[in-house]
Amino acid sequence: MGKVKSAIITALLLAAIVVLSLFAVISCDVPGSNHVKRYNSFLSGIHLGADLSGEAYALLYPEGVMSVTDYNLVAEDEGNEDREEYTEKFTKVGGVYVDKDKLADETFKASVAKDAKIISERLGQKGYSSYSVTVEDGYVIKMTVPTNFTYAAYKEYDYTSRSEALNLISTAVQLAMLDGDISLRDNENYESSSSLVSIKDDFAAFFSGVRYYAMGGTYAVQMDLTKDGFDKINNILLLGDSNSKAYFFIGDTNLNIQLDMGKPLEGRTLYFSSDVDRAQSLAAVLGSVIGGNILTNEYNEHPEVSGTELIVSTPEMGQYAALYLLGILALALVAAIVVPIVKYKKLGLVNAIMALIYANVIILSLLLLGIQLTISGAFMAVLGLALLTFTNVRVFEAVRKETATGRTIQASVKTGYKKTLLSLIDLYVILIVASALVALVCVGELAACGFIFFIGTLASYVLYWFTRLMWFVISSPVKDKFAFCGFKREVYDDEI
Amino acid sequence: MKSNKLANFNVSAKMHIFVIISCLVIAIGIAAGTIFHFVSNGFFNYGGDYETYKSVSVEYEDIDFSGGGKEPVELIKDICSTAFGNAGVSAKASSFGDTSTGGKVVYKFMNSTDTEKLSAAVEAINAEIKKEVVSAGGIQFSYASVHEAETVLGGGLAMTRAAIVIATVIAAHFIYFAIRYNLTMALGAMLADVHNFALYVALIALCRVPVGSTIAAYAVLTVLMTVIGTSFLFDRIRKNSKSDDNKKLDAFGISDLSSRESFAINVIMPACLAAISLVLFIALVISSMSPLVALAPVVCSLVAFISCVYGTVFFVPSVYPRFKVLGDKAKAKSKAKVQAK
Repeated sequence: MGKVKSAIITALLLAAIVVLSLFAVISCDVPGSNHVKRYNSFLSGIHLGADLSGEAYALLYPEGVMSVTDYNLVAEDEGNEDREEYTEKFTKVGGVYVDKDKLADETFKASVAKDAKIISERLGQKGYSSYSVTVEDGYVIKMTVPTNFTYAAYKEYDYTSRSEALNLISTAVQLAMLDGDISLRDNENYESSSSLVSIKDDFAAFFSGVRYYAMGGTYAVQMDLTKDGFDKINNILLLGDSNSKAYFFIGDTNLNIQLDMGKPLEGRTLYFSSDVDRAQSLAAVLGSVIGGNILTNEYNEHPEVSGTELIVSTPEMGQYAALYLLGILALALVAAIVVPIVKYKKLGLVNAIMALIYANVIILSLLLLGIQLTISGAFMAVLGLALLTFTNVRVFEAVRKETATGRTIQASVKTGYKKTLLSLIDLYVILIVASALVALVCVGELAACGFIFFIGTLASYVLYWFTRLMWFVISSPVKDKFAFCGFKREVYDDEI
Repeated sequence: MKSNKLANFNVSAKMHIFVIISCLVIAIGIAAGTIFHFVSNGFFNYGGDYETYKSVSVEYEDIDFSGGGKEPVELIKDICSTAFGNAGVSAKASSFGDTSTGGKVVYKFMNSTDTEKLSAAVEAINAEIKKEVVSAGGIQFSYASVHEAETVLGGGLAMTRAAIVIATVIAAHFIYFAIRYNLTMALGAMLADVHNFALYVALIALCRVPVGSTIAAYAVLTVLMTVIGTSFLFDRIRKNSKSDDNKKLDAFGISDLSSRESFAINVIMPACLAAISLVLFIALVISSMSPLVALAPVVCSLVAFISCVYGTVFFVPSVYPRFKVLGDKAKAKSKAKVQAK
């Protein structure tokens, strides 16, 4: 390969990487849009975990329990006619006010704790990177889930993505706090409906299990019927008017999944397609209810409390945690670029190109696959970068050894790669298997970490070969075939 | 002189010291964790998304309290920080968010914080807010309250899956090494995985840093880094065993030589990651204004890196030659039996 050809290939590659990197990291207002339209970089489109973009939480008050604010709104308003009733009826427990009758009921507190466990199990099925269910003062349940905001949504540059994320959380919270048993009803309005299942039958016992189904972009709730359940539902459906539907309810909430009356079921498995998030939430709550885990109390449904409000809180790591993390990741990238350049000069530049490509691959993968980035996930990405850099350094050293024995650069590269190939393949095979296992078996944050490391390991291996190609491109035009980038034949004493 | 000493350092001669150190740390860590499991809040000091904590929440309305155009949340934060200072308590984390009528600031405190002091702070906050509201001519809708929160241990599924994965990765590592290298090296690799993981668990249990579900992520990181480290180490052992230059060396000599050759790579990689951890810790402390919040991920990662370096650079190269000698003896014995037959 000639000098010109080598320079053109290197320049084109560098230009492409620089342009891609600019699109990846720089967000700005679109010129001429008068600050109305904004270009959000790939980086700001990555979903962030609770440690970087905060959490959303909802407080669930059972009947007979209210917040200090709700209580004081009445109790401290001298003109309010309910004032006296409030002061007589409620007493302060920790940071909440509890109905004295409820306080006397020993089972009440235990029922709230039991409900919290059920809600926690339901949320656990959602695969959140982190979540928690807390009982405050013994009577209030606090559900906390990550916002899953992108950086643009977190900083309120992208309102659409922010409101979409909040809608998803709101649906998940509403479904997780559903109380009551499952029923099949003849009308979509609970008040004007009646159960289609005989009072003697337990409708939940019709099902052997419920799970979330995902295949090829189709998401659904899969409900498996027992043989008896299949026969009984078929009887119900065949007795009904063919123009009407049978609606699934939990308590008094219509789940918006229904069966056509007049048509028998085709099999013992029912599929109700939905979007990914709703399908997951529905499967979790239906599975829980069918398994007999029914909430004892109704939450936020009595008139004395303000209703369910979703509060988006800033991350505990600080409002700028994501920016700080980005700065540190950039620092790691700069170190992975600068140190090899100092040690290997031109070859260090090849490693720099690979490190930049690696960073872009990770950013694009996180963006396109919607993987949530947390601090642990960032460590996995850095581990992949370290793997790439150390692999390259190892090969460089192997080539240096070969050059020292008096081989030409091309021959040294060939032998150096050959000598390190098997051990590196061993390393990559085991790491790819391990990271795939973590990604597939684990849930939440760990699964995301496994996925990031899987991509990092794969990218690192592909870039190992790309380094080989770039070595060929930059070393071809070199005139001295025995010396390159400080690699040269060692002169022994007896040769002088 | 120093580098020469390092170049001649024979880890295999110090096996007893390394075994004693490892056994002691692991035994003390597991014993402490078990004791804490029964007398305190668990094997690990559960914090983060598992923690039981106290909190002060202040619900505020979106009004111009002081009339000075200051954001309500800023004024509330000022009031709270003065009240907490006067009461002699300090929050380990704080967050704020908007509500339909204004916002809510939540301060989290360690469970050991005195409730009476928190109640005194809440009273002071409420009194101060009332003063502000009255001076602005409004009606008070903003109140502070102190809560005791108990978190339901919901991370069971994540922990179980992590345990399954760690066991599977260790088994896969063993099987792959048994096929590609040999049985004694596979045993050495498995020993490294189990040792480093046990050391990580013991040290985390011992240092009592409040940890959440991220503990599992760093446990997996420990195992992955051990896989990388042992791959470098056993690759050197394999190559050195085959090399004509090392024919005079026994299993101990080869292990020492390989340990020295892979020393740089097995120390520099975790050291770089540990340096990143420390810089991240400083940045997060500045960001959150609370060292406690940033402590768990940083301590977990540092413990992971220390376990990996110690296990891969010192412990395994000192123990592996014994495996090799035993393996060779067993091989010779079985060969002699076959020949005798």
